[in-house]
Amino acid sequence: MEPKTLRQIRGAKDLVEETIDAAALAINEVQRTMTRMPYALLARIEPIAAPVQAIEQVHLKIADSVYFSIRVGNRLVGNVAGFMLDQLDAHAQRKGHS
Amino acid sequence: MANEKKNSANLPAWGATAASILNGCFGDYLNDRDNGLAIDMAFYQNNRPLALTAEALRAACPAPTGKLCVLVHGLCCHEGVWGFPGAPDRSYGSALQRDLGYTPFSLRYNTGLPIPYNGQVLDTLLEQLLASYPAPVDDLILIGHSMGGLVLRGACHYGAGRNAAWVSKTSRIFYLGTPHEGAGLERMAHLVTTVLHAVPHPVTALVGDIANQRSQGIKDLRHGTLLDGVDFTGSVPWLPSARHYLIAGTVTDDPEHLASKLFGDGMVQPPQAGEHVRLFPGVGHMQLAHDEAVYDQIKQWCASA
Repeated sequence: MEPKTLRQIRGAKDLVEETIDAAALAINEVQRTMTRMPYALLARIEPIAAPVQAIEQVHLKIADSVYFSIRVGNRLVGNVAGFMLDQLDAHAQRKGHS
Repeated sequence: MANEKKNSANLPAWGATAASILNGCFGDYLNDRDNGLAIDMAFYQNNRPLALTAEALRAACPAPTGKLCVLVHGLCCHEGVWGFPGAPDRSYGSALQRDLGYTPFSLRYNTGLPIPYNGQVLDTLLEQLLASYPAPVDDLILIGHSMGGLVLRGACHYGAGRNAAWVSKTSRIFYLGTPHEGAGLERMAHLVTTVLHAVPHPVTALVGDIANQRSQGIKDLRHGTLLDGVDFTGSVPWLPSARHYLIAGTVTDDPEHLASKLFGDGMVQPPQAGEHVRLFPGVGHMQLAHDEAVYDQIKQWCASA
């Protein structure tokens, strides 16, 4: 494989990884904002305000952990793909020298 | 058959096309991140960048002539855009070489970068091209499609500002579907993102943020920005030492049709009629880069005194 092609594949890998990470962050933020809307309304009702806030925190924690897992998984897959590309790169360089 | 296979290997493959589209959409981001997909501006031959050294140019042009032709593509494209349908090896460059003896050079560049930046780099590249070219250059013509025309105007401005040698050799510049007064489509995109951000809802704001990720190159098309800090090309003079030819198309065969009035060639509104302006009804924006009638007009203008 040509070094230029490898560089482009690495670039595509980086771009996909960065896109997934940015998308997960942005959607997480939107979901947090939208999740808070109904809870904010319910929290105005004095007798149920305290349990509503507690449920809201649990809800947000679960949602955050889902997006966090997506980002960690994405980073993991990216690192594995990067390692494989490094091996290909090293192989191509060895072939070039010999 | 073998020839066909060889020819197709010389043309940009789908990977290059995908990279060019990505560069057009997010080229400034790719460049900032030093991403391997970011395209460095260079003249390309047989899908490979051409080193601007005397040896490389001698090998690339075994019979150099004193007349050069430089082709600059538009947004999200590469030099493959100049290939005629059904005969991709034929382009305005190769046809001008055969008919009038112009040696063609096709540029490939990151169309997502700011137009003023690309203009500056092209100015430098043209300087290097003329310095390394293996024969004395008497005549240089420039052909720009869409955004390529703006990049050419930017390069001319920067080149003229420092009395670059290539500027004095430039006799004619052809602008094919170039949005000198800005592109309506980008103005619409700007309006949509502004509205999306004005709506107080997180989802519309997110969609607006995504739309706003489009490259600076695209955003520069809104006003046809040529120079840093200048938002309107009206203030940028046309290179006085060269003749400028504007070629435009329309989406329908009747230029007076409402669709043609509204959408121009599908992307860009045609310029006002003038001596060096030619309208091709029924020729769409992309087709302007590879159309026999357009080529005949370019050839006729090139052959005129």
